[in-house]
Amino acid sequence: MISFIYRLANWTAIVGGIVLVALTLMVVASVAGRAMIGLGLGPVPGDFELVEVGVGIAIFYFLPWCYLRGGHATVDLLYMHMPAWFKKGVDLFSDVAMLLVWLVLTWKLWEGMLEKKEYLETTFILQMPIWWAYAFCLVGAVIGCICYVAKTLTRLGLASEPKGWTVEANVSH
Amino acid sequence: MSNIQLALWSFPFLLLLIFVRVPIGLSMLLCGLGGSWVIYGNADPILNQLKQVTFTTFSNYNLSVIPLFLLMGQFAALGGLSRALFKAAEAWIGHRKGGVAMAAVGACAGFGAICGSSLATAATMGQVALPELKRAGYAGGISTACLAAGGTLGILIPPSVVLVIYAILTEQNIAKLFLAAFVPGILAAIGYMITIAIYARLKPQEMGTMAPMPMKDRIAATVATWPVIAIFLVVVGGIYTGIFTPTEGAAIGAFCTGIAAWASGGLNRKTLLDSVLGTAVATGMIFMIVLGAGLYNTFLALSQLPQEAAGAVAGWGLSPILVLIAILVLYVILGCFMDSLSMILLTIPVFFPIIMALDFGLPPEELAIWFGILVLIVVEVGLITPPVGMNLFVINSMAKDTPITHTYRAILPFVTSDFVRTAILVAFPSITLFVLRL
Amino acid sequence: QTVTLRLHQFLPPQAVIPAKAIIPWARKIEAESGGRIKIQDFHAMQMGGSPPQLFDQARDGVADITWTVLGYTPGRFNKSEVFELPFMCTGGPEKCSRAFHEYVEKNAADEFKSVKLLAAHTHGPGLFHTKQPVTGLESLRGMKIRGGSRIINNMLVKLGATPVGMPVPAVTEALSKGVIDGTTVPWEVAPSIKITELVKNHTSFAGKDGLFTQTFAFVMNRAAYDKLPADLKKVIDNNSGIELAASFGRAMDEGDKAGLALAQKARNNLVALDVAETQRWRRTASVVESDWVTEMKGKGIDGAKLASEARALVAKHNK
Ligand code: NA
Ligand code: NA
Repeated sequence: MISFIYRLANWTAIVGGIVLVALTLMVVASVAGRAMIGLGLGPVPGDFELVEVGVGIAIFYFLPWCYLRGGHATVDLLYMHMPAWFKKGVDLFSDVAMLLVWLVLTWKLWEGMLEKKEYLETTFILQMPIWWAYAFCLVGAVIGCICYVAKTLTRLGLASEPKGWTVEANVSH
Repeated sequence: MSNIQLALWSFPFLLLLIFVRVPIGLSMLLCGLGGSWVIYGNADPILNQLKQVTFTTFSNYNLSVIPLFLLMGQFAALGGLSRALFKAAEAWIGHRKGGVAMAAVGACAGFGAICGSSLATAATMGQVALPELKRAGYAGGISTACLAAGGTLGILIPPSVVLVIYAILTEQNIAKLFLAAFVPGILAAIGYMITIAIYARLKPQEMGTMAPMPMKDRIAATVATWPVIAIFLVVVGGIYTGIFTPTEGAAIGAFCTGIAAWASGGLNRKTLLDSVLGTAVATGMIFMIVLGAGLYNTFLALSQLPQEAAGAVAGWGLSPILVLIAILVLYVILGCFMDSLSMILLTIPVFFPIIMALDFGLPPEELAIWFGILVLIVVEVGLITPPVGMNLFVINSMAKDTPITHTYRAILPFVTSDFVRTAILVAFPSITLFVLRL
Repeated sequence: QTVTLRLHQFLPPQAVIPAKAIIPWARKIEAESGGRIKIQDFHAMQMGGSPPQLFDQARDGVADITWTVLGYTPGRFNKSEVFELPFMCTGGPEKCSRAFHEYVEKNAADEFKSVKLLAAHTHGPGLFHTKQPVTGLESLRGMKIRGGSRIINNMLVKLGATPVGMPVPAVTEALSKGVIDGTTVPWEVAPSIKITELVKNHTSFAGKDGLFTQTFAFVMNRAAYDKLPADLKKVIDNNSGIELAASFGRAMDEGDKAGLALAQKARNNLVALDVAETQRWRRTASVVESDWVTEMKGKGIDGAKLASEARALVAKHNK
């Protein structure tokens, strides 16, 4: 189960990456089209809002993976001089806090989505309902909550991380 | 407890959370939510704010430049673009004392010109240059230190994520900030090379040399960097001439480096997945901080502390230059403990209006740009100041056999060079501004 | 005891509406309450969030009072949107703001029921600022124009231009380097985004007609209002409603004059299309209105009735 959740985070991040690469191609097409407006081409309609919504979705999909890989920026100045029980306590605190925060954020994102749906708000150019974007983000947020539960369980020793799992503290590249 | 006292108490509490290694973004988010809750007197308003704020923060057009630049950095490493830069610099100066280290700094500068992130630059160049430095007989400390310092060029030389954030916060023109950052960025690279030269005189035993290369090979190595130069011209030229926005420039840069990586055979299914996952980790890290800092900022704004503090500093009646120096010193001190991005997000809304209200004999736009560049430099010093420097940690974690204390010791000359440069730029604003006046 | 109210809006304090309307209003409230109401100003989104969130921030009590552009949340203020239709607003921003406020109270009150509406207003006549002069309907063909609302973008398509969606702060840079050929803003915004330096041609329409209008609302959290003692409620009541809307309109008018003066000082080319040409634009742009009526029918709203209601109110306040 745990290894399935870790793989799920991996797939989710890859989907986010596909969205990002697709946006890259869309922007290139849009800039090219804008440059060749004289030839009857034009920018991709709604390119700005597509970038906004797409990057927003990608980030929601990146976050669970980032957390499982220990990718969040941390400072271990005091941590490294502390006894083992203290380190364990802090790590557990971080995991539980992350889980609680994301449960709240996900719950509120859900409410936000319902509101956007009720008000029928749309984007400017494509007039695409905003709640669709919220719904895509919500998928990432829910997967995030599942991952944070999994991480907390492994921290409590109730489950173990997949074989060969490495965490990159403080490294981002 | 008044709201202002509450805000003041939140600082040590936040620092405590951060120092015991609660993730920085999470720490700020917790303090922000908690503090706002206390000030509002109930949790509803801040919870309601969360209905939209996560989505709007992540889908902010100006911030979308960040994941695109990170993706570009990943592709550049795959395509061997970063290695080509290093080889070219090494071909010319690798045979001199300290030459390979200088080459590493030169390659960092080149990479910094197409990449917007310091950590990405440090990590990418570290992968390439650490083995080469070891092969040339360099000691561990100087190897990690010159790369950690070189990594800051990723942000000092435009394009730069920190300048993007500064431009958003202060409503300045990103292209002009990028242009103004150029000369100080080049000065930084030169300063680091001079530092290495002096270091080589003092401790020659810590450095080795390579065999000199024939001119033919030097030229070949230089020619091999053409994709980097071409991409640089397209991205920076396009952003500056306004053919596209910085976000579009980042996307085009990622596209071009992707093509270059594919053409060189470095981009395949597996490496593409690795790049995407690497981008995911770095993007997640940055946006968690942005989200946390945003909510922490909301709390600070509600408490009225920034407004009161600005009034207080204005009331001290210091001369403008002393106010500026006080602010820069504060950044260096904070930078010993804090991340540069969150530092900018937290403090610029307070300090920017103070600076803009003072008379430095500069028109407002020039003052804003000059201050932005100075802030950029001092927060980047924070990346390499012990005990907490992100670049130091990144590079040190890649050089497994070098103790962090060796890195700490060898970095000090580079930090000194940063201070000297800052003093020069404070004394002579025109070094920063002359390009804009052309 | 004193009541502290938080006022949040998205422009820097030196911009026209904050400087000429919002801040004076806040100080007036404080004075008339004998210091028992204290208003904390938060400019330029200092409290966090993005401009489209401002309306909900007032609804949810994140802020107590906010000023917002209704067009930032397309699809949400359908009935109010009628004032954004081409050539709806005539006679200048003060009269049009009165008409809009009255219209909202009569016809669109349900869109504001979650807050206490202090004032609803509009900006002045909308016009084109372009690199190449727009002298007739044909000039727009192939031009890349930035529009500020969904209605404006619909209209640009009908007029033959390519609408480019872009956040306002990006306009200056985009114009200076040719990403767009022009933009649609009223004179009031022109100085702050340096329009008169970037383009030399400004095209307006016959009389006091504006091609387009954006609508704004100044709203208060309902609970914050209900909690006030009766005499403080009265202070707010005395300083809200149609007269407040008119004062926002007057501020817009002053801003428009300053913007126009700047263009004249720069000796820019001021094109004023004559009545006949304006008539041609009206005909072409009227498709936007009929499309809008059809769209509203789908949402169960009688758009045609609302449009004639709005026109009647504009005419009434122009008498
Ligand atoms: Na850079
Ligand atoms: Na540091």
